[in-house]
Amino acid sequence: MRRLQSLWTAALALGLSARALAEPVTAKGLGLPPDASADGYRIDELIHETVIFIAVMFGIMVVWMLLAAILHGRKHEAFYTHVTRRGQIVSLVVIGVLVAADADLYIDTMRDMSEVFWNFAPVDADPNAIKIEIDAHQWAWSARYAGPDGKFNTPDDVVTLNDIRAPVGAPVIFEITSTDVIHSLYFPNFRVKMDAMPGMVNHLWLRPKETGEYEVGCAQHCGINHYKMRALFTVLPEADYQRWLREASANAERAYDPADTVAHWGWDWTNPRPIEGDQPPLPKAATARAAGAAHEEGI
Amino acid sequence: MDIQPIHPPPTSFWRRYVFSTDHKYIAKQFLWAGLIFLALGGSLAMMIRWQWAYPGQPMPIYGSLFLRKSGGIITPALYPSIFTMHGLIMIFFAITPILIGAFGNLTIPLMIGARDMAFPTLNMLSFWTFLVSQALMIAAFFVKMGAASAGWTTYPPLSDSIGTPGWGQTLAVMAIFVTGVATIMGGINYITTVIRCRAPGMTWGRLPLTVWGMWLTAILNVLFVPVLGSGGLLLLLDRLFGTQFFIAGASAVNGGGDPLVFQHLFWIFGHPEVYILILPAWGIMCDLLSFFSRKPSYFYKGSVGAMVAVTLLSAIVYGHHMYVTGMAPLLGKGFMTFTVMISVPAEVLFLNWLQTMWKGSIRLETPMLWTMGTVFVFGLGGLTGLFLAIVSMDLYLHDTMFVVGHFHLTMAAASFMASMAGIYFWFPKMFGRQLNQTLGKIHFWFSMIFIPLVFGGQLLAGYSGQQRRLFDPYQYTFLRHLQPLNQWTSYFAFILGAAQLVFVYNFVVSVFAGKKASDNPWEVGTLDWDTPSPPPYHNFDVVPHVQRGPHELGDPAVKKALGRDWIGQWEEMPGEKSGQAAPKLAEAH
Ligand SMILES: [Cu+2]
Ligand SMILES: [Cu+2]
Repeated sequence: MRRLQSLWTAALALGLSARALAEPVTAKGLGLPPDASADGYRIDELIHETVIFIAVMFGIMVVWMLLAAILHGRKHEAFYTHVTRRGQIVSLVVIGVLVAADADLYIDTMRDMSEVFWNFAPVDADPNAIKIEIDAHQWAWSARYAGPDGKFNTPDDVVTLNDIRAPVGAPVIFEITSTDVIHSLYFPNFRVKMDAMPGMVNHLWLRPKETGEYEVGCAQHCGINHYKMRALFTVLPEADYQRWLREASANAERAYDPADTVAHWGWDWTNPRPIEGDQPPLPKAATARAAGAAHEEGI
Repeated sequence: MDIQPIHPPPTSFWRRYVFSTDHKYIAKQFLWAGLIFLALGGSLAMMIRWQWAYPGQPMPIYGSLFLRKSGGIITPALYPSIFTMHGLIMIFFAITPILIGAFGNLTIPLMIGARDMAFPTLNMLSFWTFLVSQALMIAAFFVKMGAASAGWTTYPPLSDSIGTPGWGQTLAVMAIFVTGVATIMGGINYITTVIRCRAPGMTWGRLPLTVWGMWLTAILNVLFVPVLGSGGLLLLLDRLFGTQFFIAGASAVNGGGDPLVFQHLFWIFGHPEVYILILPAWGIMCDLLSFFSRKPSYFYKGSVGAMVAVTLLSAIVYGHHMYVTGMAPLLGKGFMTFTVMISVPAEVLFLNWLQTMWKGSIRLETPMLWTMGTVFVFGLGGLTGLFLAIVSMDLYLHDTMFVVGHFHLTMAAASFMASMAGIYFWFPKMFGRQLNQTLGKIHFWFSMIFIPLVFGGQLLAGYSGQQRRLFDPYQYTFLRHLQPLNQWTSYFAFILGAAQLVFVYNFVVSVFAGKKASDNPWEVGTLDWDTPSPPPYHNFDVVPHVQRGPHELGDPAVKKALGRDWIGQWEEMPGEKSGQAAPKLAEAH
């Protein structure tokens, strides 16, 4: 069940969006932030399916309870029973439906995790992939690009603060760590996040499908200024990105100070270990983009 | 040998009113201690809600009372203390003492026909140890640099002495450790009492489901609170003695330790904790739905089996709190599999509740309303858990307000409403007086309407992307349009908070001047109602011989023989062969 847009629209019409709660309604309204990721539709669809599913289940429960309270009040005596055959069949059917729905979500998410979100090795091997090292610290994000030599922690590295850039379409893979406490690198418009843990390098990857500026947040409480730990993720057209990287790298090399050891916080790219036996090839970004577009038309 | 001799009540003031070993009195002590901290935790919640509605603006009333130094404003430094203390207080020092300390103590001996707990002195020690932990929590508010502020989850390295310096955090971690000791004492007592002190004829299959819930909770407590205790102890060593169990990164020396280990220790306890707080509620709900539907609890064995299954599974699902910590995919998928599995026993319970009500003769008394409210909010809370159990959705929703809304519906709202059901139900037995039912219903309807609105508002904010624990969410452009939503949620929360004053008034007035209650005002057949209200010091003059299960309501044969729709567990049916096989087993004691 990957195509449930019409149901979703119906659910919206039923008022599930709870738009009425917010007065005045802003231009953006409530709901998921705009999806800028080639793979975001996978998560959004699952979320929408689950919303419908739990709305139905919750509805059944509430109606059942209300009907019981209305139909079976004081006016008649209770029907004495500890368990009935019919009751057990009804329970079994309901549990069957629930398990089937759970199984559907389960299968979908297993596939999405294996093929995309936790499938690092093919991204890492992809020559077009943009590799970025992230060092989180109270309360900012430092990002490091390898520069033309393709090696981290060398004089041509581009280092930025709260400013992450990537070209549209290419997979972007992050290696993330923290200097001090735990932070969490959160891309709301790309539907993913990953903790930045001191003493550990974590991996995260995503594929921007549209150019634009997107906010990056910290999702893990990291002290007084947790709420200010905000960065911008700028998705550029390929040529613009290359130009920026070239210029920034040239500047970095001019400003390089070998004595400033604090600035050399980068590390050799660790390469995510392939943890599972088979690493399926990534679904083509182009297909994913097409699927994403089809998804939008559906809504 | 008589395992349950009658002891004369103590005569000295101290033994009677302070260091009492009477389970009924200790239940009241836990209830008061818990309710006072519930009010405190609730007040802190109001401050958080104010902050999200009007960040940086002086808070009315509270501002002039508690925040005079900062001109009534909640500062960025104070704010983390508020949500940290709110979480810790509510979980460990409000819901736990009420649901487990008060109702466990009250119901277990009375419902199984015992004269007291198996270890009355240990029971007294458990309460006083708990009180020490509450005192430590209060002390944390008054030390230099403020109360604990690393979040209720207390993740190092933020919670170590560099991340959060000062005695506030240390005292709070100590309080958790000490309250853990108290919980383990209580747990051992509950487990032993249920195994050893059941009245003759009270077989496992005749135990009220409340007792089953309490017993399983006690087992979880005894198994998993020590894990939290070990985590807390190592954290204290890190804070006070310079060890580095959980320290990594820039502040680590000679390699340091691993902060992730703390998260494992915390959640091995933390997930069972969810069930620790809900199993007693489930038990109470099973019993009360049966009592007020005047019909046996549907599929008793299924409910017991489901609760046992949840207890067993609860230990192996905790990894769903750590999907985004860099967990190995294989582990993540394994934890997800178990998490999805644990929903099945919960569904069995839900269906049993609904089936119990169906074709009953439902009395919408105050405790019943609260119980139905619990089914409602727990249903919403349980279903929203699905989003967080499924890994790919959790990538987006983890650490957002969605999580906050979800666990407030399950852990907070459901346990709160079940506690209220219990209070309105057992108040006559505890105090010998009735709570005012009209005020009880007003209290119910305000809570019923505004609890889903408040926590639904949080779900919606998280769905729209808002992270949790933000001092000022509107620093983010993509969250700015959520301010009206958060403001409305806050208004609902303020109404919800104010409505609790109805309960405070009702409770205090009724304790001292409520209508005198009869021995069995709800006309039900569990052993707690086979005693006077309030029961004498030794509970039962004669320990009852149990004849039947706890939910014999609406039996036409009983109606014909006795002219009423219920029969006590202790009662023999006229003409029925007395004693049936079971008592022999129990008499072997
Ligand atoms: Cu941070
Ligand atoms: Cu959990």
